[in-house]
Amino acid sequence: MPTPPQPPRWATRLLEMACASPLLEEMKGDLYERFLRNARLFGEPYARRQYVREVLGFVRRRPGRTSGVIRKQFTAESSQVYLFQPAMIRNYFKTAWRNLLKNRFYSFINMTGLTVGLAVGMLILLWVQDELSFDRFHAKADQIYRLENRVGTGSSQQIWRTTVAPIAEMGKRELPEIKDAVRITQSNIYSLYRYKGKTFTSEQSAFVDPTLFSIFDFGLIKGNPANPFPNDQSVVLTEATARRYFGDAEPIGKVITADGKKRFTVTGVIRNFPKNTTFNGELDLLLPISLWFKTIYAERKDGRNQDNDFHEFNYVTFLLLEPGVSTEALATKLRNIHLRNKADDTDLTYLLQALPDMHLYKSDGSDGGIETVRMFTIIALLILVIACINYVNLSTARSMLRSKEVSMRKIVGAAKGQLFLQFIIETALLFALSALLAIGLMSLLMPFYNELSGKQLVIDLTDLRMWLVIGLTITATLLVSSIYPALLLSSFEPLKALKGKVSARLSDAVFRKILVVVQFAFTVMLISGTLIIGNQLEYIRSKELGYDKSHTFSLHMRSMSSHYEVVKARLLSQPGVTDVTRSDAHIVSLNQQTGSSDWDGKKVGETMMVSPMAIDKDFIPFFKIKLEQGENFTGAVSDSTHFILNETAVKVARLKEPIGKRFKLWNREGTIIGVVKDFHFASLKQKIEPAIFYYNPKNEDRIYVKTTGKEAAGALAATERLWKQYNADFPFNYAFLDETFDDLYRTEQRTGTLFNVFATIAIVISCLGLFGLVAYTAQVRTREIGVRKVLGATVPGIIGLLAKDFVKLVLIAIVVAVPVAWYVMAQWLEGFAYRIDIHWWMFATAGLLALAIALLTVSFQSIKAALMNPVKSLRSE
Amino acid sequence: MRRSYLGEFEEVVLLTVAVLGTGAYGVAITDELDRQTGRAVSISAVHAALHRLEEKGMLKSHLGEATAERGGRRKRLFSVTVLGSRTLHDIRAVRDQLWDSISPQGLPAVSL
Repeated sequence: MPTPPQPPRWATRLLEMACASPLLEEMKGDLYERFLRNARLFGEPYARRQYVREVLGFVRRRPGRTSGVIRKQFTAESSQVYLFQPAMIRNYFKTAWRNLLKNRFYSFINMTGLTVGLAVGMLILLWVQDELSFDRFHAKADQIYRLENRVGTGSSQQIWRTTVAPIAEMGKRELPEIKDAVRITQSNIYSLYRYKGKTFTSEQSAFVDPTLFSIFDFGLIKGNPANPFPNDQSVVLTEATARRYFGDAEPIGKVITADGKKRFTVTGVIRNFPKNTTFNGELDLLLPISLWFKTIYAERKDGRNQDNDFHEFNYVTFLLLEPGVSTEALATKLRNIHLRNKADDTDLTYLLQALPDMHLYKSDGSDGGIETVRMFTIIALLILVIACINYVNLSTARSMLRSKEVSMRKIVGAAKGQLFLQFIIETALLFALSALLAIGLMSLLMPFYNELSGKQLVIDLTDLRMWLVIGLTITATLLVSSIYPALLLSSFEPLKALKGKVSARLSDAVFRKILVVVQFAFTVMLISGTLIIGNQLEYIRSKELGYDKSHTFSLHMRSMSSHYEVVKARLLSQPGVTDVTRSDAHIVSLNQQTGSSDWDGKKVGETMMVSPMAIDKDFIPFFKIKLEQGENFTGAVSDSTHFILNETAVKVARLKEPIGKRFKLWNREGTIIGVVKDFHFASLKQKIEPAIFYYNPKNEDRIYVKTTGKEAAGALAATERLWKQYNADFPFNYAFLDETFDDLYRTEQRTGTLFNVFATIAIVISCLGLFGLVAYTAQVRTREIGVRKVLGATVPGIIGLLAKDFVKLVLIAIVVAVPVAWYVMAQWLEGFAYRIDIHWWMFATAGLLALAIALLTVSFQSIKAALMNPVKSLRSE
Repeated sequence: MRRSYLGEFEEVVLLTVAVLGTGAYGVAITDELDRQTGRAVSISAVHAALHRLEEKGMLKSHLGEATAERGGRRKRLFSVTVLGSRTLHDIRAVRDQLWDSISPQGLPAVSL
């Protein structure tokens, strides 16, 4: 027999709460009987609705409430206090509302502080939530790991996030703990795609194993998940890419041409990569990895192929592991497989990074972006706490004014619990209004915030996780800020209060003072944080890099590189161009590194990771890099066996007399002819690493053009004309070195700006609270001030009197805040290899600033109070 | 003569209890009201009226047996007291008296 339908349980509970117990049984019985009939006749949804309606009817009417007979019968029960008397709750709302309106000024201050605090706090927390959600949406996210290699010895040790091709297959075959594996190699070997006369040039493509679609949840909307790449001429597109190519037409089966020679048939479409994945925005086309292997190994004569090539570390490899596998043990096993196949890689170890950690942690598992996440979580909490403190302070300070109301309520029979409830409701009302305003403010601020934070957050009212953040924030702040005032207010002793004897008990005043100190301590911390971050960023930007990047732009030459001499001559004849040179990598961020080097005096088993760069003979003078020893390339044939090292490389290789020593890079043997002074070819977060320069004009396809600055536009136009001549199909992409350099610090800049904004907001909210407190003090002491003035007190004297208390508090706050801020900022600076020292004046400035702002806030009210005509204030008695 | 005042709804409820005899409880009364007068009233309204009437002493009640269709809960069965009965009769007497006093032209004709 099927169980009969049940009415909504919450409604029944509501009924139980609202209605007197002796009548409950028959009510419930009647309602249930009717519910069953309705369910039978009209269906369950209707019956449930009807049930709720009936329950509400009971709650409203409350039969038995006026019933003298029944009350006589059950006096024992009805004498207990019902906390949730609807009439009283209505009354609480009414008094709360009247209070809000009556004290418009304080309500305004409270609401502004809360609204801004909540809005900003929630915005930050939403950002944090978004950061934490990266790559977690895959069902198997906990079992997916990225395979990485740690290479090199000593100080040049580092981690590669890509590994060799065969290890994935071998691991899967030999180790049962590996369920599956996928390799991804990003390569734009085709740069021009065509479909029906439309050309697409900036496509990002990757070659992948078909297991990509089974390991990850990148929903394959169209195509066969079991066999997404039927052959090597297959391509899988993202939804957005498919739309760009084919519009609304069915993409499956369409043929696109790559670089005019290769033809690919679309065999699958995947959903666009979500915003919170590390793959986001990086891939448009997915091609089968078998094609990649064919392309690169077909011409090889040394017998290398995808099953034995342990030299090319080009593959991002993800492993799907059995649950509960020890990653360290597995890494050792993988290393053994590697060494079995390539015995001389003794400096190489494997390590695995969990997929959800990829976004926020560095490859070695140390803190990456998680630092910022932590920092911002703390800031969000600080801002929320500051806003809560405002509320608590203002409402407890003003509680005296309500002591009479509380006492009257108590005398006519209100229990402490009821008063407590009343004040909680009052806070809740204010919070509800603020929360609504805050959500409105958030949606207003969202576009600016997104621009600042580089995210694409939207207020999506259907997003549950968003509501979770918003709901939790509001509830938590409400709890924090309502309990203390409610306790305090409900604890007044009626007789004393009515006699007017509640003049601030010491403990309350102390508590309030502590809160003000906490508030300003946070403010001082934020200000000094802002100062230090700003200084550090300025330091990075203005630090002498060791080369001259001014007024220079750079671009990838493509087909121009085979006509470099012509291009160079033409450019040099332009009025705005002062010099031209080329290299094979970008001087601002030299990314490639190799451990394949040998030199006189190298120890067995030692590896030095060096950044190699092929440069032209005029590269060193072009960038005004200082040649410490030896000489530059001359362009002679013999230069192909010459090397120039930087000082760090000389030091790491322990070369005493570097000039003339033998050096080997890959299979290029030669001698060292020069040493350049160290210069920064990467972010200043890193130390300068060994670098080596060699002469190989054929490979140098990056051109640098130095302009006079003023005529940069003309130089650019000339370059573009040349570009069109050789690369008609491709868009002209260039970047000034200054811009590329700034890109290196995009995240830090962003952190800096956000910190600025948040600190300002924290200060504003703190000051609002202080402003309210001072206004209140001045109001309470109106008569005292009047009397003092009559007796001859001066205006500055009175301002001092009022301001003194608060200034003292701010000073204590500064003393508390400085050590904490010092410690935290020192930690942050640790992340930079080149950093400023923390000086005492930074904290002094922060403290003075906080003090000045506090004084300004306080003095406005104090001056107003001090200037008041004593006749007016004294007459009011 | 001082009589307890009865509202129109209370009067109808009281009458319905009388109509139902021994089986008069919340849901039954609500259904009967619906059937006889065409008024769809909520159970809570009926309950409120019943308790008011009980308070006024026109109804008395006792708890009946538990039945499965009520989820094992007992019914409260109502019956009309002497006072209730007298009140209903009084009301009826007043109404009859008034009807009798209407002259034939006193009301416009209504075709039934």
